[in-house]
Amino acid sequence: MKFLAFFLLTVALVLEATLTTIPFVFLILLCLLVLLRENWLFVFAFAFGIVLDLVSFKTLGTSSAFFVTFLFLVLLYQSKFEIATNAFVFFASFVGSFTYLLLLGYNNNIIFQAILSSIIGLLLFKLIQRFNKPLIFNQ
Amino acid sequence: MQKRNFVSYFLIFFTLSLIIFGASKIGLLKPLDALGKGILSPFQALTYGAFSKITVFGSNSQVEVLKAQNLELTKKLIDKSKLIADNKALRDQFQTENPKSTNLIEADVVGAPSFIPGVSVPETLILDRGESDGIKIGQAVVYENNLIGQVIQASSSLSDVILITNPSSSFTAKSLTTQSQGVIKGQGGGEMILDNVILSDTLQKQDTILTKGDVNNSGLGFPPDLVVGKVTSISKNASDLFQKADVKTLIDFSKLTKVFVVVNQ
Repeated sequence: MKFLAFFLLTVALVLEATLTTIPFVFLILLCLLVLLRENWLFVFAFAFGIVLDLVSFKTLGTSSAFFVTFLFLVLLYQSKFEIATNAFVFFASFVGSFTYLLLLGYNNNIIFQAILSSIIGLLLFKLIQRFNKPLIFNQ
Repeated sequence: MQKRNFVSYFLIFFTLSLIIFGASKIGLLKPLDALGKGILSPFQALTYGAFSKITVFGSNSQVEVLKAQNLELTKKLIDKSKLIADNKALRDQFQTENPKSTNLIEADVVGAPSFIPGVSVPETLILDRGESDGIKIGQAVVYENNLIGQVIQASSSLSDVILITNPSSSFTAKSLTTQSQGVIKGQGGGEMILDNVILSDTLQKQDTILTKGDVNNSGLGFPPDLVVGKVTSISKNASDLFQKADVKTLIDFSKLTKVFVVVNQ
């Protein structure tokens, strides 16, 4: 599963670094956390955040701190409520993307981008859930 | 997942992120940052190139090709116009006997600070040649056999030239026909006066004013017999110590794109 997570995050990193401001790395991290709830995702969040900052000319550590904090908040929330639901993924993607874009200083169509991110997040969640069901159950 | 487990993971990686953020903000990670960018940028360029090609495949390829051709042709047209202008300037300069073309370095005008077309005229020019090309402070700048100005500052790749019409500019000059001597003083706004001409000398309207020559022992300064301009009006009073004349330059400084710096005298 770690290999699949690494592959998905690498693809997301390439997309985010070259093509779009939609936070694909964040969305993949969120989907993986909701489905797997593993601590090693913190390591991935930290490492991919650093590389993302490096390739997108941001202050190093900005994305890492955000990713790690957001994952922590999601895990805190899951101790009380169920998080592997469409509604939660949609809402968390929207709030996370909006905050992330705001934090990085983007001010062009943030709401539209956040809505688009939450739709993409939901689709990614459904895709990962469908194609990796056996793997997830084997964890 | 145990709650305390993920809390400790969070604390470790959040603290690490904050340390890296702080170090990056104060510039401690600049070498590491540069190294990382150096390693990753080829991959980034590669993927960007690949995605660009995918985008081109998806769009109307004929329109894209025509757009690219249009850009290329526009670039060629600009390059050709520049080449023609450069060629003309160089040919004119080589046909000029004074100063000798072997003593010159050609330079492109890359800036004219404070020049606003229709509002103000240039007072200084920035040239694309600097100390690495042999440019020194004090060297004269010419176009054909017309004096343009003098180098007042030079960095390794650029130099700053004060024009002869600048209020800070003054040098000795003489008239072509009567050999009357005086001092050319820039007045700003494209104007100059020939001052300190003794009353007994004769000045004539439309007479050409030339540099008298004030090259120092280092070879820096204005060579003699460069054209400064033409006398447009004369002011002579018997009660004054000197007579003076308004001088108009023959060159439109705002249209200069190429000039020549006199390097060997």
